[in-house]
Amino acid sequence: MNNTDARMRKTVLFSMILVPVIPFVLVILVGYFYSAISIEARTVETLQRIVNDHRHMIDTFLRERRTNLEFVIHTNSFESLRRPHNLAFVYDNLRGVSNAFVDLGVFDENGLHVAYHGPHQLSGKVYKEEPWFVGVMQNGVHISDVFLGFRGYPHFIIAVARQENGKTWVLRATIDTYIFNDMVGRIRIGKSGEAYIINNDGVFQTAPLAGDLLLQPDPNRSLYLMPHDGIKTFMSNPNIPGVFQPYFGRDAYLYATTWLEEKPWLMVVRQEKKDAFRNLRFAMYLIAGIVVTGLTAIVGLAFHQTGRVIHRIKRMDAEKKGLENQLIRATRLAELGQMAAGFAHEINNPLQVIRGEQALMEFIITEMREKPEGIDDGSLAELEDSIRQMTVQISRCSHITQAILSFGRNTEPDMEDIRLDDFFAEIIAMISNKAAVHGISINQRIGGDAPLIHGDKGLLQQVLLNLLNNAIDAVLEKHGSRGGEILVYAGRAEDGQVEISVQDNGAGISAENMDKIFTPFFTTKPPGKGTGLGLSVCYGIVENLGGEMSVSSHEDAGTTFTLRFPAAGK
Amino acid sequence: MKIPGRNIMKHFFTEREPGMDVKKEMKLMIVDDEERFLYAMEKLLTKKGYDVQTASSGEQCLEILEKKRLHVVILDIKMPGLDGLETLRRIKRLYPLVEVILLTGHATVESAVDGLKCGASDFLMKPISADDLLERVEDAFARSRAVAAKIDEARSRRFMQQSPGDILKDAAEEK
Repeated sequence: MNNTDARMRKTVLFSMILVPVIPFVLVILVGYFYSAISIEARTVETLQRIVNDHRHMIDTFLRERRTNLEFVIHTNSFESLRRPHNLAFVYDNLRGVSNAFVDLGVFDENGLHVAYHGPHQLSGKVYKEEPWFVGVMQNGVHISDVFLGFRGYPHFIIAVARQENGKTWVLRATIDTYIFNDMVGRIRIGKSGEAYIINNDGVFQTAPLAGDLLLQPDPNRSLYLMPHDGIKTFMSNPNIPGVFQPYFGRDAYLYATTWLEEKPWLMVVRQEKKDAFRNLRFAMYLIAGIVVTGLTAIVGLAFHQTGRVIHRIKRMDAEKKGLENQLIRATRLAELGQMAAGFAHEINNPLQVIRGEQALMEFIITEMREKPEGIDDGSLAELEDSIRQMTVQISRCSHITQAILSFGRNTEPDMEDIRLDDFFAEIIAMISNKAAVHGISINQRIGGDAPLIHGDKGLLQQVLLNLLNNAIDAVLEKHGSRGGEILVYAGRAEDGQVEISVQDNGAGISAENMDKIFTPFFTTKPPGKGTGLGLSVCYGIVENLGGEMSVSSHEDAGTTFTLRFPAAGK
Repeated sequence: MKIPGRNIMKHFFTEREPGMDVKKEMKLMIVDDEERFLYAMEKLLTKKGYDVQTASSGEQCLEILEKKRLHVVILDIKMPGLDGLETLRRIKRLYPLVEVILLTGHATVESAVDGLKCGASDFLMKPISADDLLERVEDAFARSRAVAAKIDEARSRRFMQQSPGDILKDAAEEK
C-alpha cells in the first residue's frame, strides 16, 4: 500500500516536472541561440562598417593630399617653385585646401633641399640617401610612416616627383597627423571600442586608447599583421570560437581589420567582447534568472499538485470504499427484507394450518357439547389427530425460527484446531443410524496426512450434518431404500488448502435451481419438510470461518458439495 | 388485508335473499399446497354443511373447474408448479363468473395489486380464522349471485322485447 503510494507519487511528480520543463528548456535554448546569432551578426556588421568607413576616410585624406601635391608639381616649374615667394604662395594655397600641410620643400635630383617654406629653416641639406627620397625617385610618389623627427611631434611626409627637361625634381610636404589622429581616435564604440592604424611593421601610427604607445610596436600585431583583401573579422583569442562561449574576460576582443589603399597601413577596429555583446550578456543573465525561477516554480508546483492529486486519489479511494460498504449494507438490508418476507411466509403457512386445526377442534368440541351422549371414539381420534398436527406445525415454526437465529448469528466462532479423522468419525456416528434405516452406505476417505483445520467445531458439525441430511434426502429421492451411497472426503488441495467434500449419487440439482440453492427459503421439498434455510445458513457459516463453499451437480447422477478451508497453523 | 372500497362493494352487493340457504347453493373450492390445511378445512366445512372441494395445485384446480361449476375459489398464491397468480389468470379467462379469493402467507402490496388486477375479488393474508374466511367467502358468493342476477335480468329483458320466434331462434343458436 505504502509502496504503491510512493510509486504513484513518483510517477505523477515525474510527469508533472518533465512535461513543462521540456518545452520550457527548448524555448529558452532556441530563443538564446537565435538572439545570439542575430546580435553577433549585428555587432560584427557594425564593426565592419566602422572599419570600412574610416579606412575610406583615411585613404581619401591621403589621396587628396597626394593629389594636391601632384597638382602643384605639375602646374609649377622647378624654376618658379625654387623662388621662396612663389613657394610661399603655393603653401598658402595648400593651407587653404587643408591645414594638415605643415611645410613645403623643393629638392633637385640630387636630393639637395633647394627651397623650403614652413616653420623651420631647413633648406640646403642633401637627402639623396634618405629612404623617402630613394622611394620618391623610384615610384614618383612616396608617403612615409609617421615619425617624430627633430620637430618632436608626430608627422609624416608626402613627396611627389616630376620629370622636367630631362631632370627630375621633388616636392615634399610634411603632414601633421593630428587631423588623422583625430579622425581615427574619435572612433568610440560602446565603452571599449577603439580604432587605430599600424604600419607594415606593426608600429602604431595613431595612438591606441590604452597607454602612450604612439610609434611603439603593437603588442598584439601578430594577431592581424598579415596580408589580406577587404575586411577581416575575428576574435582575439583563438580558443574562443564564438559568441556562444560564455567567456567575457578582458583579453577577449572582437577585431575588424582592413588594409589602406594609399599606403600599406592596417586600419584596426576592436571592441571587448564583453562590451560588444553586453546585450547578449544581459539576456543571458536574464535567461539564467528566468530558468532558475521557472524551474523552481515548476518543481514547487509539481510537488504541490502531486500532493493534491495524491490526496484526491486517496479521498476517492476512501469514498469508493465507503460506497462499497454502503452497497454491502444496502444488499444486506435487501436480503434482510427478502428474508423477512420469506420468514413471514414460512411461519404463516404452519400458522394457517394450526388455525384450521383449531377451528376444526372448536367445531368438534361444540358438537360434543351439544350432544354429550354422542361422544364417540371417532371424534376423540379426530381431536387427537388435530392436536398432533398442531404439535407438528408448531415444531415446524420453531425450526424456522431457530434456523433464522443461527442465520443471523454473528458472534465470533469458537476457533480450535480440528482433526478431521476424529471429526468425521463423530459426524458419521450421528448420522449412520438414519442412513442405515434407509439402506444408504456412508464411506469416508481421508487423503494424505489427516489434515488439521482451524475452525469452530460446533458450526462445522452443523454444516456437515446439513449436507449429509441433504445427501440422504437426495439419495432417497433417486434410489428409495436401496443403492444409496455417500462419500465424505477430506484432503489437501493443490494450493495447500484443506478440502472437505460430501458426495452423493442422488437425484442431483436441476440447472435452473442451481443458482438458487443458497438463497434463503428456497426449497424443493414439500411444505413442512424443509425450511429453505439449511444451505444458506451453511454458506454463511463457511464464509464466516474463512472458507469457501461450492457445489457441482448432475441431474439424476448426484451432487458434490465442496468446502475449502485454509489449513490450520497458517 | 384491508382492500379500500371493499365495504362499499359489500354494501352494493350484499343483497341476500331472505330465507335462502347459502350453504347448500354455494359451491366452494380451496386450493393450497398444504395438504393438512386442505384436510382440516374440508372436514370442518363439510361438517358445517358447505359443499367444499379441495385441490393441492393450480393444475388440479383447473381440472376440477373443467368438470364442475363452482362459485368461489380460495387460492394460495405460493404453490409449486402453476402458482396462484397464473392459476387466477387462467380461471378468469376460462370462467369469468367464478369469484376468486387470494390467500397468501407473504403479504406485499405488489402481489395484492397484481392479484386484484387479474380479477381476484378479495385478498386474504394467512393466518386467517375459519369464521373470517367464511365471511369473505359468503361476500364473494353474494357478489357472484348479484352478477348472475343482473345477467339473468338483462337476458329476460331481451326476451320480453323479442317475438317468441326470435327467442326460439336465439335458443337454437345458443345450442
